[in-house]
Amino acid sequence: MTASVISAESIPGTGRAAQGAIELRQVSKHYGDVVAVDELDLTVQPGEFVTLLGPSGSGKTTTMMMVAGFEEHTAGTVLIDGRPVDSLPPRDRNLGVVFQNYALFPHMSALENVEFALRMRKVPRPERRQRAEEALDRVGLGKMGGRKPRQLSGGQQQRVALARALVFNPAALLLDEPMAALDKRLREQMQEEIKTLQKGLGISVLFVTHDQDEAMAMSDRIVVMKDGKIVQSGPPEEVYNHPLTDWVASFLGDTNLIPCTIVERNGEEAVVDLGGLGLAKVRDRGASGENYAVSIRPEHLKFRTRAAAGNGCAATLVSSTNLGATVRHRLTAGGHELQLRELSSDRGTRILPDEELWVGWDADKAQLLVLES
Amino acid sequence: MSNATLERTRPRGRGAPPGAETAPRRRRNGWWLLLAPILAFDVVLFLTPLGKLVGASFADNAYQRVLEDPLVVRALVNTLTISLASTIVTVVLGYIIAMVLWRAGTVTRVILFAVVLLPFWTGILVKNFAWAVLLQDNGIVNAFLQGIGLTGAPIPLLHNRFAVIVGMVHCLLPYAVFPIFSSLASIDDRLGLAARSLGAREGSVFRRITLPLSMPGISAAGLLVFIISTGFFITPVVMGGPGDMMIANQIDYYARQLTDFSGAAALAVILTVMVSILVAVYQRVLKAGGQHEDN
Repeated sequence: MTASVISAESIPGTGRAAQGAIELRQVSKHYGDVVAVDELDLTVQPGEFVTLLGPSGSGKTTTMMMVAGFEEHTAGTVLIDGRPVDSLPPRDRNLGVVFQNYALFPHMSALENVEFALRMRKVPRPERRQRAEEALDRVGLGKMGGRKPRQLSGGQQQRVALARALVFNPAALLLDEPMAALDKRLREQMQEEIKTLQKGLGISVLFVTHDQDEAMAMSDRIVVMKDGKIVQSGPPEEVYNHPLTDWVASFLGDTNLIPCTIVERNGEEAVVDLGGLGLAKVRDRGASGENYAVSIRPEHLKFRTRAAAGNGCAATLVSSTNLGATVRHRLTAGGHELQLRELSSDRGTRILPDEELWVGWDADKAQLLVLES
Repeated sequence: MSNATLERTRPRGRGAPPGAETAPRRRRNGWWLLLAPILAFDVVLFLTPLGKLVGASFADNAYQRVLEDPLVVRALVNTLTISLASTIVTVVLGYIIAMVLWRAGTVTRVILFAVVLLPFWTGILVKNFAWAVLLQDNGIVNAFLQGIGLTGAPIPLLHNRFAVIVGMVHCLLPYAVFPIFSSLASIDDRLGLAARSLGAREGSVFRRITLPLSMPGISAAGLLVFIISTGFFITPVVMGGPGDMMIANQIDYYARQLTDFSGAAALAVILTVMVSILVAVYQRVLKAGGQHEDN
C-alpha cells in the first residue's frame, strides 16, 4: 500500500564519487551573551546519515544553519571535504538544503523550482530541462512538473524540495525538520523513501529533528544535543539502550530510572545497589558523576517466574492499560514505581491488581547512567 | 473500512440529532439593517449629487463645448502625463523605502515608519509651500548647488513640471510604501535562504524571487497612486507653471471663473470615465500577465 515511489536505482549517473564529509571543529555561536552552540565537534563521514536530535533551543538548527552558511559562527572551523568553508557564502558551499516548510518558490512550477539551481549555474536550457525532469522522475513526480507548489499535496511538495536540493549533485544534504508538517502515516512513508534515496545515492545527510522516533528510524548515527552541546553520540540502538545520562534516557523515550549506588565497577559491567530492589548487575559505559541511576526501558522489563535466573524483584501490579499494539503495566517494587510494556500478543493470563508478581530484566539491558537532575 | 466506521460513528460521537448539520447554514434575517446607515449616507450625500452632476453635464451641449477648449485638451494630456510620471517615480522610490523597512531591525523600522507616515499627517498645502520654499531661486537647494560649485546661477526648480512631480511624489509616497511593504513582508524569509543555497547571488534573489513575489504590492500601489494623482489640484497651482495645469484646475476654472456648471460637470465625468477605462485596461493587462505566468 505504501509502496516506495522514490527509487534510487533508476537514477542515471548515480555513480558519484564518495565525498561529502562535513566536519565541525570547536564551532561556537554566541548571540550577545547567549551561547547557542558551544565548542561543538562533529563529523559526518561520506555517505553517513547523521541526525542532530534535541529539544527546541538545543542549538541543532543553528548548527545546521552554520554548516549551510546562513549563520556565521563565532568561533571554530567548518570543513566540507576537508576544505574550510568559513568564508564561503551559502551559494558556493554546494550543499542541498531542505527547509522545514520546504520553502518552494510559490510563483514557479515544480519543474522551474528544480531547475533553479541549474539556472544559477548557467546550465544550457535543454540539459537543464532534462536534468530537472530526471530529478522529478526520481522522486516519483515526473508528471507533476507543470504544477505550482500550491497545487501539490504536502508530501509532493516535500518531494519537489528533495529533487530541488539534489539536482545539482551537492556534496551533502541538509534536512531541517523536513517532516514536521506531514501527518503520521505520510511521515513514516517519507522517512523510508528519504532513507532509500540517501542509500541509493550514497550521499551524506545532516538531519535535524526533535522527534526521537524519526531519528531512530533514519539515522546511522544520532547526535543528541542539549543547551548547545553534544550530550551523547552513537548508533540509534546504542543511544537508546545505553544512554549516558537520565536526560538522554528520558528524551529518547519512556524509561524506568532507579537511583542506585555503585558497589563495584569492572569495565563493561558494574554491580549496583538498587536500594529496596537489592543488588543487580548492570551495563556500564564509564560515565561518572555525583549521583547514579539505572535505566531500564519498559519493554525490557519482563514478567518472570521466581525461579528464573538473573536480575529480578518482586512487584505488585497497580494498573494495566491497553495501548493497542502494546500493554502498559504500572507496578510497584521495593518502593519504586516501575513501568512494564509488553506486546498485546504476548499478554498471557490476565493478571489482577494487587497480585504478587516477579519481574526481571537482562543485565545488558540495564544501563548505569549519571543522574543530572 | 475506516471511512465507513468514521461516518457511522461521527453523528453519534457528537451526540447531535439528525439534521443538526444544517443548523449553521440557517439564514439570519435582518443582516442588511447593519448596512442601512452607510447606505442612507451614500444615497443622500453621494449618489444623489453624483446623479445630479451627471445629469447637469448633458445640458447646454457641455461635452462638445469643453472638448473644443484647447486648454481643456491640454489639461487632460497634462493630467495623464504628470500622473503617469508621478506614479512611476513614486512606485520606484516607494519600493526602495519598503525594501529598507522590510530589512530594517525593529527600532529602525519604527522610526522609518514614522518618517514615512509624517507626510500623511501634514496638510497638502503645508507640504507644497514647504517645497516651494526649498526649491525657489534663493532656496536651500539652489544655495547648496551653487555652494558646491555645481551651478553658477540659480536654476529654475519651481513653477515647472519637475516641481509639480516632486510635490506630488512627496504626498503620494505613503500610498506606495504600505502596499509594497505588506507584500514584501508576506514573503517567507526562507525563500531567500533556499535560493542562496541553490547558488543564487543577491541580484538573482531579488530579480527571480523578491521582485516577482512583490508584484501584487507593486500593482496595487501603482493603481492607487495613479488614481489619486489624477485628482491633484493644489500642487499644480502652488508648484506648477501656467503650462502644468491639470484637469481639476480646469474644473475649478469652469465652476468659479466661468460659472459654467454644466461644463465643469462634463469635465468631472470625462475625468472619471477616462480613469475608469485606464483602470480596466490596467487590470486586464495584469490579469493576462498573471495567466501567462501560470502557463
